[in-house]
Amino acid sequence: MIQIQNLVKRYGDLVALDHLNLTIKEGEVFGLLGPNGSGKTTAINCLLSLLRYDKGSITIFGKEMHPDSYDIKKQIGVVMQNVAVFEQMNVQENIDYFCGLYVKDKEKRKELVEEAIRFAGLEDFRKMRPKKLSGGLLRRLNIACGIVHKPRLIIMDEPTVAVDPQSRNKILEGILELNRQGSTIIYTSHYMEEVEQICSRIAIIDHGRVLATGTKEELKRMIKTGETITIEAIVLDDTTLSEIRQLPHVFDISYEEQTLKVRLSSAKHNLIRVLHYLQEQDISFGRVFSELPTLNDVFLEITGKELRD
Amino acid sequence: MLHLLKYRFLQIVRDYQMLFWALGFPMILGTFFYLAFGTLGLESTGESRWDGISVAVMEENTDSENAKAFLTFLNEIDGDTIQIQDISTEKEALSQLKEEEILGIYYVKETPSLTVGKNGLYESILTSLLKTYNLNASLIQEIAGTHPEKIPQALDEMSDYRQVIKEVSAGGKEMNPNVQYFFALIAYACLSGVFLSVKATFDGQANLSPLGARRSITPTHKLTLILMDMLLLVIIHFINILILNLYIVKVLGISLGDDIPSLLLVNFMGSTIGIALGIAFGCIGRFSMELKLGLAVVITLLPGFLAGLMFGNMKNIIETHCPIINRINPAAVLSDAYYYLSIYNDTAKFHRCLMILAFMSIGLVIIAFLGIRRERYDSI
Repeated sequence: MIQIQNLVKRYGDLVALDHLNLTIKEGEVFGLLGPNGSGKTTAINCLLSLLRYDKGSITIFGKEMHPDSYDIKKQIGVVMQNVAVFEQMNVQENIDYFCGLYVKDKEKRKELVEEAIRFAGLEDFRKMRPKKLSGGLLRRLNIACGIVHKPRLIIMDEPTVAVDPQSRNKILEGILELNRQGSTIIYTSHYMEEVEQICSRIAIIDHGRVLATGTKEELKRMIKTGETITIEAIVLDDTTLSEIRQLPHVFDISYEEQTLKVRLSSAKHNLIRVLHYLQEQDISFGRVFSELPTLNDVFLEITGKELRD
Repeated sequence: MLHLLKYRFLQIVRDYQMLFWALGFPMILGTFFYLAFGTLGLESTGESRWDGISVAVMEENTDSENAKAFLTFLNEIDGDTIQIQDISTEKEALSQLKEEEILGIYYVKETPSLTVGKNGLYESILTSLLKTYNLNASLIQEIAGTHPEKIPQALDEMSDYRQVIKEVSAGGKEMNPNVQYFFALIAYACLSGVFLSVKATFDGQANLSPLGARRSITPTHKLTLILMDMLLLVIIHFINILILNLYIVKVLGISLGDDIPSLLLVNFMGSTIGIALGIAFGCIGRFSMELKLGLAVVITLLPGFLAGLMFGNMKNIIETHCPIINRINPAAVLSDAYYYLSIYNDTAKFHRCLMILAFMSIGLVIIAFLGIRRERYDSI
């Protein structure tokens, strides 16, 4: 459905996209995961032909994308990172206006607007101006304006920034519903939990390059970390730390503010082995928990930095 | 299409902040002008006591018939339209002209001439008197020879002269030099369309606002969106200017003349210039909207100032020292056009103003269009 090949975008000396390659298939919820400034929004703007790029090619629905590719644009819906609605028009008028930019038929438009209002849960707020809406409702209006024409491809650029958890969940559920209704979705975020929750395939992007692509499981299998054990309220000396580092399957440890984090490669009985060692050394400790690798671990291992750096 | 026009119209007219700058502020300013010097102006020019324009008459050569007739002509209107001062030498006359104690010097000779110190309403009347005499010289000569006392009556029948004098005598309001402030005010209001169009430019350009980006990625052709915006903005601002005209004429009682089609034409061109200037300015650089609106105050008030909005004599000072500014300053050209329409019916000068305004409108619309037609940007 979408093919981005060797995309290069420079801002003077800064390389924002460095030979970016992506393939997105129809029906996917494709996550573009990367820290702020990694090139996600630049890639989206190039994809939408808003930004000039230096090199590479972009094809959508099998056709090359240009600013005047109106037949392609007709099938795309975009939810911008920043809320993009008219302050002077109410909820219904805003949705109707943006729908009118895609759909000329009045009856069809009326139907679509009602559907979008219902979808975004804005029935009780249709006559309200954006200024009167809460942050979450405003984001939902922003989404409704982007998807009202029922596009085949929906691009969502960090649609949940500054949204409360309740509204965030509603938005994420809505995205999955849109996907169930047949839309392909590109979802950019630096919230790994969201991407993990809704995306069927994920590309990790940093410094304008795709570092890894795959399903969650595939990505997690790419890294060394099989398990992370965290032990709180523990007092350790350098010798003990050194001995823990020598335990089987342990490849990395960190010890800060009386909290020990042990990263181990995938193996059976990792937790028992670590606890057994502590018992043998007669070291007391507080809470203990073990986690399977997250996308953050994937990101950390691939890029050497935290996702939210 | 109508659907999009309807919503865009609603969006623009509900933007009260921008409408305030485009219409409310000029109306408030006009009210202040009226309160500050409306009555004072009327008194000073003498609605009830019109003494005539002070002039000197230099008799250089009175041998010819034409010179004699011109002298009779001047003497007959002395005390009415003009007030001939008792000045015997040209040196003294020029000195008094410099001091503005008199406003013109008529030279009586075979081909009569006039020297004025500056350009203004009274000087225009003096020029018009000479022009009227020259156009009707043979007729006036004949009357001067037979019935000199009937010259004023004959002059009443002569169109150019009559128009000027009629304006003067019809209550004196038009003689109020302060009326120039109101012409500069309407010109300033026309330019205030900048506020509407700067905002609209932000709403349409992907590199300036998220809203612009959202509108740029729709399948509606960008040219359609641009033309729709421009059309609506010009119409809305044209209505703003008509409202201001009505307020000035009906509420403040200041005449803008009887030539309604020409007035509408000037209003339309003024609105177009204001809107196009705002679009052209709006798409230059990637400054914040607040900064651009701040600069918009400068690009509307500065031409207004140069056209005499804050200091009535400004345009005359510029005309003396750097007249080109008065030709390229849209506010000055607009203010001149209103002046020629309502007070001094000089068709040639009015047409010159219209030509300049037409060039400015077309030029600015082209620049504005070139500025906003971009569909892809280097950075967003």
